[in-house]
Amino acid sequence: MFEGLRARLQKITGSLENKIEENIEKNTIAPATAVGSVLRPLPEQPKDPGLLERVKVLITDREFFISEKDIEEPLFELHMVLLESDVALPVADEIIRRVREDLTRSRRKVGEQLQGIARSSLRGALLAVLGDGFDLLSYVRNHDRPVKILFTGVNGTGKTTTVAKVASYLKRNGFSVVIGAGDTFRAGAQEQIDVHADRLGIKVISHQQGADPSAVLFDAVQYAQAHKIDVVLADTAGRFHNRANLMSQLEKIRRVMKPDLVVYVDEAVAGNDAVVRAHEFEKTVGADAVILTKADMDTKGGAAVSIAHTIGKPVMFLGTGQGYEDITPFSPVRLVDELLGVQA
Amino acid sequence: MLDKLGTSLKDALKKLAGKTVVDRAAVEELVKDLQRALIQADVNVRLVMQLSESIKRRALDEQPPRGMTVREHVLRIVYQELVRLVGSAGEVRLEPQVILMAGLQGSGKTTTTAKLARYFQRKGLRVGVICADTFRPGAFDQLNTLCSRANIPCFGDPAEKDARKIVRDGLPAMGSSEVVIIDTQGRHALEADLIQEIIDLQAIAKARHRWLVIDAALGQQAAEQARRFHEAISIDGVIITKMDGTAKGGGALSAVAETRSGIVFIGSGETIDDLERFDPDGFISRLLGMGDLKALVEKAEETLAKGEVDVNAMLRGKFSLRDMYSQLEAVTRMGPLKQIMSMLPLGNVQIPEDAYDITSTKMARYRIIMDSMTGAELDDPSLIGSSRIQRIARGAGASPDEVRELLRYYKMMKRALKGVRGPQGRFNMQRMMKKFGGGT
Repeated sequence: MFEGLRARLQKITGSLENKIEENIEKNTIAPATAVGSVLRPLPEQPKDPGLLERVKVLITDREFFISEKDIEEPLFELHMVLLESDVALPVADEIIRRVREDLTRSRRKVGEQLQGIARSSLRGALLAVLGDGFDLLSYVRNHDRPVKILFTGVNGTGKTTTVAKVASYLKRNGFSVVIGAGDTFRAGAQEQIDVHADRLGIKVISHQQGADPSAVLFDAVQYAQAHKIDVVLADTAGRFHNRANLMSQLEKIRRVMKPDLVVYVDEAVAGNDAVVRAHEFEKTVGADAVILTKADMDTKGGAAVSIAHTIGKPVMFLGTGQGYEDITPFSPVRLVDELLGVQA
Repeated sequence: MLDKLGTSLKDALKKLAGKTVVDRAAVEELVKDLQRALIQADVNVRLVMQLSESIKRRALDEQPPRGMTVREHVLRIVYQELVRLVGSAGEVRLEPQVILMAGLQGSGKTTTTAKLARYFQRKGLRVGVICADTFRPGAFDQLNTLCSRANIPCFGDPAEKDARKIVRDGLPAMGSSEVVIIDTQGRHALEADLIQEIIDLQAIAKARHRWLVIDAALGQQAAEQARRFHEAISIDGVIITKMDGTAKGGGALSAVAETRSGIVFIGSGETIDDLERFDPDGFISRLLGMGDLKALVEKAEETLAKGEVDVNAMLRGKFSLRDMYSQLEAVTRMGPLKQIMSMLPLGNVQIPEDAYDITSTKMARYRIIMDSMTGAELDDPSLIGSSRIQRIARGAGASPDEVRELLRYYKMMKRALKGVRGPQGRFNMQRMMKKFGGGT
């Protein structure tokens, strides 16, 4: 997952190395010993020490050997890599700011623990914006039944498919599930959820098309209470955050069914708008966790970083394919370590 | 956040106003703001870098044409480069054709298929739709429901698992339809078997057009996805969907660049009629979050040409009603004042609503009155006595008072212009014209 970002991060290492070598060549006046100490440690590293680490070493080294100003150029490239990976502009700015602060603050003498400084500062910056993961199973275990989960998001992000996947995930883990077909607007939406539920052997509560979604979802909650069902999954129609009426409808749904969790669903391929709409949804109906879909489209994972940072809410799952089992619990530490090539 | 961006661009443009030479720092600031705006609109980062380099180079190297201010010069370059980036609208012919829809999951293919069918139907063509999405549950129901609302025949079979068979059976079944649109299931570049499927579908359907549907919110990933689709079925048009949200659709530009095609349609709403032909200028305005840049550039040029002629005549001390007429004409051609003001990157200057109305309606009245004058009267207004005023008023359907008011206005203008010739004249006709047209 997120091969895109990793590959990109690795790609800049090559160009960076070249630049640094050029710079060193230019600065031939610099004492040979100093140059040597920059270049020599590299071959001693294990075969693949994580290319990013090497960049970071180089960035840090440049700070010492060439000039402090030169840190700007690698940081600019890092900025570009983040932007090309769909990290939204304000969030990329924030990451760069943190890394720069961290690096310039920690001025050290030549040869003193150079390796890892830069990497750990980038790691820290990424983790800081990614926040924690969210363990749905332990949440359901430690919570009064039925646990009511409301799914929201804009059109076409994959809410209905995600509801089916989460239902299947919970069922596999031994919980009983009922689905409320709250998308009463889109043609074919009820048929879609019916077919999914049928395949999974899960009960769907639905009214006819055009019905009040609040009523449907209220009924779903009633059904769960009466039948001692563990989890209610409430699907809703996709809506744009700039549609006041649709947003207040969502607000009403929340008031009526009183969900324990509001889950915001967005696609991992979304660009800068991801930030705008995540923020709007968080503002109107709140969000306790995020599910990112379509993470299998060779995504660079930037949207995950952006959204998590904007609304400060944990990413719960990644949707990674069209099958019911294609849903992966999300762990920020694992993701960041994978990106930076840290061996666990 | 995005409004702020538009404003900062406007501020950067304002800094160029009144400069006589192109200021490197100001241009760099403008380019930087432009970069931020475009990147936030999801335009491919490399495309943005190319564009801004080229703007910077041209703004600093090229000499502003005579009589054009620095700000107009830079504005024009920015506009020209953006037009190059966005490309022109893709071609849509109203003739019998088969269209194959392609795109990622959830990009809005099915809704767009129905909208397109409706578009061709409204243009008077018989349209049929084939649902070749055999994967997503409810896909046929969705398309069938949307199409039946507009009485468009929809071919499909929810039980059939082979999309190829549906298309093979569907095309003959659509015999009487002139335009056939084939909706397909969502797929992405890494799903090799699905990419193969759409290659097969194209081989069966031999569609005239292969249109790629792109979600306006799609980010940097758009380029890679478009490239793969293009390799598979040679995309010849891009449709941007969900433009009614806040997404700017910059990702679609990467798709345009990759496929060397044009944007054909824009989807912006949930009903079947919410589909528009692509308009590059409106799209650019949206990308940057500021008013209509093209109109602004054109109008500035127009005013400039007009203003120069007038000023020459007026400086010779000859200001007749004829001159005033052409001057009013120039102003009127720029459209309602209100619209002009909204196009100017002036930031948030507040102008009272009724100020526009009075001025623009009066100007129109004055022109009508002048149309009722003879050539001699226009050249030498001193001829106009009370009987002529009566005649002019009757001819123009105006009251004599209005004619007198016009003559007072003319005298005022003439007096004002006399000041121009004096060494300490504070009134500058050209400057005034520019103020109207947004030159300065």
